[in-house]
Amino acid sequence: MMTPDRLEAMYALALGLYPARFREAYAPAMRQSFRDALEDRGLARGTLIPLVFRDLVTSLFKEHFAMLYETFGRPAIIYNALVLAALSTGLALALNTIPQQVLRQGANDPQIQMASDLAVVLDKYGVNDGLRQGALINSGGVVDMDRSLAPFLIVYNDEGQPLGSNAQLNGQTPTPPAGVFDNVRQHGEERVSWQPVPGREHGVRIAAVIERVNGTQPGFVLAGRNMREVEAREAQVGQLALLTWIGMMGVILSGTAVYGWWTRPKAA
Amino acid sequence: MATETAPASPLSPAVFSILFSLAEGEKHGYLIMKDARSPEGGGVRLGPGTLYGSIDRMMRDGLVEESGMSDDERRRYYRLTKLGKSVLAGELARLDAAVKSARRMGLIPHGGR
Repeated sequence: MMTPDRLEAMYALALGLYPARFREAYAPAMRQSFRDALEDRGLARGTLIPLVFRDLVTSLFKEHFAMLYETFGRPAIIYNALVLAALSTGLALALNTIPQQVLRQGANDPQIQMASDLAVVLDKYGVNDGLRQGALINSGGVVDMDRSLAPFLIVYNDEGQPLGSNAQLNGQTPTPPAGVFDNVRQHGEERVSWQPVPGREHGVRIAAVIERVNGTQPGFVLAGRNMREVEAREAQVGQLALLTWIGMMGVILSGTAVYGWWTRPKAA
Repeated sequence: MATETAPASPLSPAVFSILFSLAEGEKHGYLIMKDARSPEGGGVRLGPGTLYGSIDRMMRDGLVEESGMSDDERRRYYRLTKLGKSVLAGELARLDAAVKSARRMGLIPHGGR
């Protein structure tokens, strides 16, 4: 059977497991209470030891949790961390959205100028006559819309049927949805991201600028370009923004932890 | 530092038994544990960790305070504050109302404990 001194020494060792603030404040008093309990003849050793063991386990858990809460769960610390996290999230979203918009708008160059120039010529001669006179000059051969990054032109009549093109997709000249032509009739120009074969997950997407051709033979001019490269850059921007956000969250988390630890309540 | 805000009622068994024990006067840790363990004190088996953890929070809540009296370097004596007395009285009144209600319903014999 262990002597009271040995039991007390073991208990004193176990007290070292409590958080520093609690240990510094109460360890001597706890040790004395344990000593008093050992010397109490009305309390059997077989009752005391399991009671103290259970108490040790539960109160260790409780005091460490309380210490963590006091260190990191103080309202001012949580509030500051949340404000910083919200600002960082806003900044990361802006880092993602603004460059993507700039890249997407940039993807309409040089189609804007190409569509506009051709529309001016066709306004003058009409779509059928203009095409007969070589308004749509295919200088670089037929552009494969799926594989090439070169800009291309397609001319449609007023009903939206293709009349001439220097590009093809799967051997055909694709046509945008009728609603796009209706919009162009109303507004004169439309800039859209067009997926000629809808439904395909990784299908070709085109940055298209459609201009209205007025005059005696009205129609439409579409200038387009495969968006593959732009979308790859947009994805890179998204990844960079995500990495920036994760980095900022890491800095906020570690900064909050260090600040919380530095300003934690000390033993009285 | 005491925050002087009363804890929510009902009190936990540990807090109630500590307040109840200290209602008799200043006591050190083991005496409080002994009182709490007795049937009259609530029959709550407190270990030193739970006792001093509760006392730490009760001191911050302004329910108890160190008396400064000591017969041994390691023994610390505690006493109730005014707020502690008031909280204990409120809890006893709540329990008393519950016991009276139980008596009316016949759950406890009249005159019994």
